[in-house]
Amino acid sequence: MSTETITPTSTVFGAEVPQPKQHGKPGGIMRRLNLGTALIGGVGLAAISGFVANALIPAGASTVTFAPVAPDVVYLAILVGWTIGFSAGIGAFVGPIRWLFGRDLTHADAEYMAGKDLGVKRYFKFTTDHKVVGVQYLVVTMFILGFGGLLAMLIRTELGVTWSEVFSPGFYNSMIGTHGIAMIIAMIVSVMGPIANFIMPLMIGARDMAFPRLNALSLWLLVVAAAALVSTLFTGGIQDGWSVYQPLASQGPPAMLGYQMTIIVFAISTGVASVNLMVTALTMRAKGMTWSRTPIFVYGVFGAALMGLYAFPFFQYSQIMALTDRIWNTSFFNPLQGGSVWLYENLFWLLGHPEVYVIIIPGTVVLFEVMPVFLRKPLFSFNFAVAGIVGVVALSGLVWAHHMYMTGWAPAANYPFMLSTEMISIPVGFLVLVVIGTMWRGLVWTRLPIMAVYAVIFNKMIGGVTGIYLSDVPVDQYMHGTMFVVAHFHYMLMGAGLFGAMAGLAFYFPKMTGRVLDERTASIGFWTAFTGFQITFMAMFVAGLQGMPRRVLQFDSLFNAPNWISTIGAYIIGLGMLIFAGAVISSWTSGDKAPANPFGSKSLEWQTPTPVPLENFEVLPVVTQKPYSYGVVDPYQKEMDAADGDLDTQKVGSNQ
Amino acid sequence: MDTRPTGPPDEPEEPTNRPPSMHRVKMWLRRPYAKGIVALTVIIGVLLLPMAWIILIPMQATGAPASEIMAGIEQTIFVFTIVSIPIVAFVYAVLVYSLLKWRKHKGDSIPEDESPAIRTNTIGVALWTGVSSVLAFFLVVWGLIELAQITSNSYGTISADQQPGDEQSVIVNVTGQQWIWTFEYPQHDGVTTEVLYLPKDRPVYFNVTSKDVIHNFWLVELGVKIDANPGAITQTGVTPNKLGSFNLRCAELCGMHHAYMETSIEVVEGETFASVMRELGGGRTS
Amino acid sequence: MSAETQQPLSPTTGEPISTIGRRARAGLWTLIVMDAAGTIAIIIAYSYLWSLNVNAGWAPPGAALTGSETDQSLPSSPPKASFAVEWPFWAILGLVILSTLAMWFGYKELKRGNRAGMIVGTGAALVIAVFTLIAQWIQISTFPFAAGDGAYASAVLLLCASNIFNLIILIFLQLGMLIRTNKGLVTKAVFYQPQILSYWMVWLCIAFLLGAICTTFMVESPNVNPAIFGTFDQQS
Repeated sequence: MSTETITPTSTVFGAEVPQPKQHGKPGGIMRRLNLGTALIGGVGLAAISGFVANALIPAGASTVTFAPVAPDVVYLAILVGWTIGFSAGIGAFVGPIRWLFGRDLTHADAEYMAGKDLGVKRYFKFTTDHKVVGVQYLVVTMFILGFGGLLAMLIRTELGVTWSEVFSPGFYNSMIGTHGIAMIIAMIVSVMGPIANFIMPLMIGARDMAFPRLNALSLWLLVVAAAALVSTLFTGGIQDGWSVYQPLASQGPPAMLGYQMTIIVFAISTGVASVNLMVTALTMRAKGMTWSRTPIFVYGVFGAALMGLYAFPFFQYSQIMALTDRIWNTSFFNPLQGGSVWLYENLFWLLGHPEVYVIIIPGTVVLFEVMPVFLRKPLFSFNFAVAGIVGVVALSGLVWAHHMYMTGWAPAANYPFMLSTEMISIPVGFLVLVVIGTMWRGLVWTRLPIMAVYAVIFNKMIGGVTGIYLSDVPVDQYMHGTMFVVAHFHYMLMGAGLFGAMAGLAFYFPKMTGRVLDERTASIGFWTAFTGFQITFMAMFVAGLQGMPRRVLQFDSLFNAPNWISTIGAYIIGLGMLIFAGAVISSWTSGDKAPANPFGSKSLEWQTPTPVPLENFEVLPVVTQKPYSYGVVDPYQKEMDAADGDLDTQKVGSNQ
Repeated sequence: MDTRPTGPPDEPEEPTNRPPSMHRVKMWLRRPYAKGIVALTVIIGVLLLPMAWIILIPMQATGAPASEIMAGIEQTIFVFTIVSIPIVAFVYAVLVYSLLKWRKHKGDSIPEDESPAIRTNTIGVALWTGVSSVLAFFLVVWGLIELAQITSNSYGTISADQQPGDEQSVIVNVTGQQWIWTFEYPQHDGVTTEVLYLPKDRPVYFNVTSKDVIHNFWLVELGVKIDANPGAITQTGVTPNKLGSFNLRCAELCGMHHAYMETSIEVVEGETFASVMRELGGGRTS
Repeated sequence: MSAETQQPLSPTTGEPISTIGRRARAGLWTLIVMDAAGTIAIIIAYSYLWSLNVNAGWAPPGAALTGSETDQSLPSSPPKASFAVEWPFWAILGLVILSTLAMWFGYKELKRGNRAGMIVGTGAALVIAVFTLIAQWIQISTFPFAAGDGAYASAVLLLCASNIFNLIILIFLQLGMLIRTNKGLVTKAVFYQPQILSYWMVWLCIAFLLGAICTTFMVESPNVNPAIFGTFDQQS
């Protein structure tokens, strides 16, 4: 090292570390960038792009099929402008540009970007602290869930009013498509966003995620995507279901481009988040935390991130191809010129199936963290929990075409896909075994997080069994495309997924918000929603069995009664969810301050003070024991040993 | 000296070291929770058993089953329900027993550790894995055999120019378009209709395509379903075995009026079918 | 510097550079998985559409009339669309491989302590990458078909667009590496960034190779009598 120049140093966690040149105040240009500048940048560049695109298109230009070109191209320009402008305004490009010119971050820069001493303003900036990102994800997720939930209420209203049309067919189709994709996005993010980001580094004894700036990027890209999604309601609506099959999508209004941009951006957000979560789990566990001492939550998050990593690009590319089909007249999916609808379906479902495991696995492993705490008992068969996660991840990529049994794309393929789909029920069964085994003889501390587990398992069994029906090709020949399928996936994604996420939120609420959750009100909301859920979706199974197709707004009078019942149930769900959300919000804003470890958990994340300090741990912990070390020696074990011992002391037969 | 032959000994044999059979199982069953959960499993299982019949009721609301395929589907649902019941009943039994007997603490104070620290139970895990694998295997084999039977009733992958041309079978070319179905009978001068006429007890083969977007050709009570894809011809088949008027619905979102893309299936006697064809303008040509 | 190890520490977190490097390499593997999935999506699109030849629309219209069958009698007949010439794909692959070799040379020199060698290698890699980008652009603009000319055209253009995108990102990364080496931020002790860039370039070679294989060995569709759209007949 050169001794001619005096290199500035900083004290970083006790060590003197040489620092690069400090350019300006800590944080540099990031001091000036926040949500406000991002909105200015996004809206501004969107408007400019829109006007420029409009000016460049010749008046009256139309496509080969005589559709006007202007709305599509202008809307696409607006969306691209929005994406780039918002990202620039929040400061997403600052990092790469600083890297390019060798202006590396100093420790002071990094502390500024982590939100040190910024107070509440740090939640409105490109903040790298994983705890801030976790809270930001929670707020964004609640917004998207509310948006999707409102659409659900409107959908059920239309279906309940069987004697007339409340909405036009086009608007109804928009509502179901938008509801579907909004809920899918919200559910993917529901545990991986708020809980994995906030809790996982604490759980493994780390100071932050592996790539803190990528963490902030993934959150703000979600905001960009969510805005694009909402904009589709104003440009004609996504009228093709959440799966947006071609070539119907190319008949749709410009909003289809909004869907495509939402997914293209969301895929980058999720990809970046997956990279971050996986590398954090792999490389940042505390000293002594071998894989057998790692909480199962980390395994689940890693597995879900891996599935998202390999599967999302297929979805992204299917939308890129749909976009080029629409704008540049390519023929990936246009059968007249060599395109294939089956190509779209395969690319879509290559993501579409692993994605449901991306939703359900985190929801399940959160419960694996909840149960030992409230049963004061170790997790049952940690190895089988791991085997279940590994099995699901391994098989998840081999089952996608069970969504395509009825497409006729490759009838011979139906056999192996039926086999793989039935087989995946076995690792999923291992996860249920772990829940039941942990609950076995466990004395329950009846708090909301653990009571929610009963609801989740109840729903998961129904979802699982109905899934087994659907996995059988002949049965699917009746059930595909009916409301039976809709009820099945709501049991899994909402009944097990969303309720599991709510349980996780109730559990980690004190650590994440620093407040105590009003469990009484939250429980009333939860169980109201649960009751409404059973009413809604049990009736929906009946409608499906009777032969009601999905995505219809008018139907045979035979299906009236189940639809009335479902709609009443849906309003009850809405009421319950509002009460739950109300409890969350009021506790967050004015609840009692929470102690550091209100549930007596032995896991590392609960050993931090509340609120958690910026650096998480003053001294990084060293782990020496297995997780979930609760419980006492089994009293029956002594009885079993004694009984065997009695036999041993009996006289061996002797000749007398 | 006693010369009587020696008979069986008068006293019982000396006790050996072998425990009585099923010793550990019986000991386990003596535990109150074991008795409770086993009992609950049986009770819940018995309560769930009628589901196997109840599920079929809505399915049969409009005259199903009208073919062997649909009858097979109903039988499969029946069997799958019964096969699923043991595991579902056991899981629910544990949930219920936990709610009834193992709820211990309420409130804010952290309870002392009192539950047994069971990290694993080899027998339990082995039993669960074994039972679930056997059941899954059974479901797979059942499903594969049934699928093979259904496929032998329909084309699968035979191209349109290699269709069976015998007297018995009926061929229908189905075209879906936004938002009507059209049926063409190539064996009857290419007569086209918008209602699907089918003769009873004769095998029918369908060639299906679409003129615009993906539709789904669903004969509800006959249990037949295949996508109508633009740019491809898909095939399926069925032998209707019940007279009557049944539902044909589109089961794939195809645009604004997807909900209205319905028509009816008229299954009639063979002679009636022939006369309907003649009336519509097609003599029998093949 | 830490007393126990002689290696430099990260300015932001105080961790040894080897830890940061390990994390970066793990991140690289995950990024490669993600990009591989995207590449496979393109390959699936290409090969699936090639195998199906839906409505005889795989080949660009008039492609069957290239070569000696082209109608020469009308001097002003418009140029007919046809399949792309194959050698440019392999030439571009060759350039990418060359750039990768240059990058590796630079990286190896850096590890040996020869900073000048690193700059030469990275600079050469950058220049070659820019040439490759230009070559790819020329290839795209001289294709004998346009985006609307059927499934083959669509698939090839998507492949080339993905190549362009990858090359632009690559040039950005190489430029940054050059500037940073000049500034002394990349040294024999702090080498993890050129390391992962070199690994990344090997993956790029594989991605370009897959594209070249498709466009050379999967040209004419094997399905010679597909169904005619909207009817129940087949092409003869």
